[in-house]
Amino acid sequence: MAVPLYERKVKHFLILFPSFIMLTIFMFTLSLSIGSSMLDPSKVFQAIFLKPFGYVVEEMVEVIAKLRLARALASVFCGASLALAGLLMQTTTRNPLADPYIFGLSSTALTLFALGILLVPNLMVHKAWVVAISFSGSILGYTLTLLLSKLGGGTSTSMVLAGIAVASLFSGASHVLLYLVQQVTRTYYMYLLMGSASTVLWTDLQFLTFPSISLAVLTLALFKPLNAYLYGDEYAKQLGFNPAMIRNAMSLVASLLTAITIASVGIVGFVGLIAPHVARFLAGSDHRFSIPMTALVGALVALIADTFVKLTSAFVGGLGELPLGVVTSIIGSPFLAYIVVRRSMRK
Amino acid sequence: MKIVVEKLEVWYNSTPALRDVSFEVRGGEMAFVIGPNGAGKSTLLKTIASIVKPRAGAVYIDGKLVSKLSPRELSKLIAYADPHVNTSIPSTVFEFLLTARYPHQSTLSFSMPQRDLEIVEEVSKQLNVSHLLNRRLDQLSSGEMQRVLLARAFVQRPKVLLLDEPSAFLDLRYRLEVLNYVRRSVEESGIACIVAIHDLYLASLYADKVIVMNGGEIVAAGTREEVLREDLLEKVYRVKVSLLEVNGRRVAVPLEPVERIEW
Repeated sequence: MAVPLYERKVKHFLILFPSFIMLTIFMFTLSLSIGSSMLDPSKVFQAIFLKPFGYVVEEMVEVIAKLRLARALASVFCGASLALAGLLMQTTTRNPLADPYIFGLSSTALTLFALGILLVPNLMVHKAWVVAISFSGSILGYTLTLLLSKLGGGTSTSMVLAGIAVASLFSGASHVLLYLVQQVTRTYYMYLLMGSASTVLWTDLQFLTFPSISLAVLTLALFKPLNAYLYGDEYAKQLGFNPAMIRNAMSLVASLLTAITIASVGIVGFVGLIAPHVARFLAGSDHRFSIPMTALVGALVALIADTFVKLTSAFVGGLGELPLGVVTSIIGSPFLAYIVVRRSMRK
Repeated sequence: MKIVVEKLEVWYNSTPALRDVSFEVRGGEMAFVIGPNGAGKSTLLKTIASIVKPRAGAVYIDGKLVSKLSPRELSKLIAYADPHVNTSIPSTVFEFLLTARYPHQSTLSFSMPQRDLEIVEEVSKQLNVSHLLNRRLDQLSSGEMQRVLLARAFVQRPKVLLLDEPSAFLDLRYRLEVLNYVRRSVEESGIACIVAIHDLYLASLYADKVIVMNGGEIVAAGTREEVLREDLLEKVYRVKVSLLEVNGRRVAVPLEPVERIEW
């Protein structure tokens, strides 16, 4: 029973994962073709993916697609990082409701980011410092939430309530600060507050891609300690792992993953909540499978949300664009409600 | 295989949990630890498993000091069937059982050795949980969960097996079946096994050695015949006990409490 069961599981994953990669490539191409001038997706696909193999492509299509590349890549990596941060937080707190936005990491990071720019305006140019400041902010937010929830009894509900308290306080603070910051950055502050991939520059993209790829590889390498940690501190200890070290290291990784998205895109909520649940539903709770799956689902969710943003601005044509975080919130909040209701129904 | 516990002393903050606990268990032997709630049975098992650190005293396995072993060496030697497993993040029985093989694998290796899968298969068949492999941990009944927890401990293939209330939640059939299975594996693989249990009947059936604890101290230790005595059990449990002869074994039957609850 066990041997064929495992083989079936691996086979299932080997079919599922590539098909999700194809789906992501499809959405990626679609996202590149949508904008103020609509392109033929098949031509865009040739220009981006088949050019190195000697395909002849229309120059105009290539130029436009490449202009949009930074934005699409930003939403892919932002989604993957947030999803991974959510998964790590759910594992380390053993709370299925954990998410960087719900637990207040994002708002705290953004507050410190805004404060930094207000105090030292030329900080904007040094992206590495922006990441560092957001990182200290997200660590602060996470610590505050966990401390507050410990005072409130340490249950999973108290964790969520503590997170809401921290998130509300700091989103208020970041509102005020960002309102002042827009004088410096000259971008509409709602974009940072609710996230938008449209403002990401090519040169800044490296601060999103390299950290997220290396942190994803790191967490994947630690899938065994993470799996053991899932069943309790004493259980992990028995299998020879150090639960406190796993918790601290993975909380730092989750904070860093959140910080890099805040520094380049802004607050995008609920991706970190949805993606791990979908990934676990599809590929199981074994981190060997759920880590790559979560990153991929997160990328896909962010990409779909960003494509939706582009479509609305192309067809409805208001002033500016919708923020990305608005769309993920609309998808995410009903999902949160669903998880809460399902949990109480099981009890 | 021999496990020696020497003058163990454990404190939880400022409350003493174990005082001057010494005994030894050999490979192929089952020692049953009995005693009332709060006697220190679980603390004793956790201290041997190095989950709780003792304030004084030592545990030796085959002459090696347990506190000097690395966590990894320890995890290959000892399995503690923890009755408290967190199930808030949904996962399947199969995923849970596979984690028990981690002490024997390289932490960074991605492959799943065929041998490990075969061990999971063998143990789950023997403990009758193979039909549960695909089920989620949080959807098992208490009795099914108990068997899964035991299966986990056996999948780890330890040299020292610590069972905390293995008969809890099990029906009559599984109480006997499971302990028969433990008995057989202990004898075959030369495991040193320590069981904390409330069921005196099971202790009288399977114990090679019975250790009676009360208030963090060992009150009596020895063979079944030496320890399962009316006066001793009455003193420790505050319950009148009668000993019956069943199939040539002495079985303790609780009759009535010494003190009644007043109203």
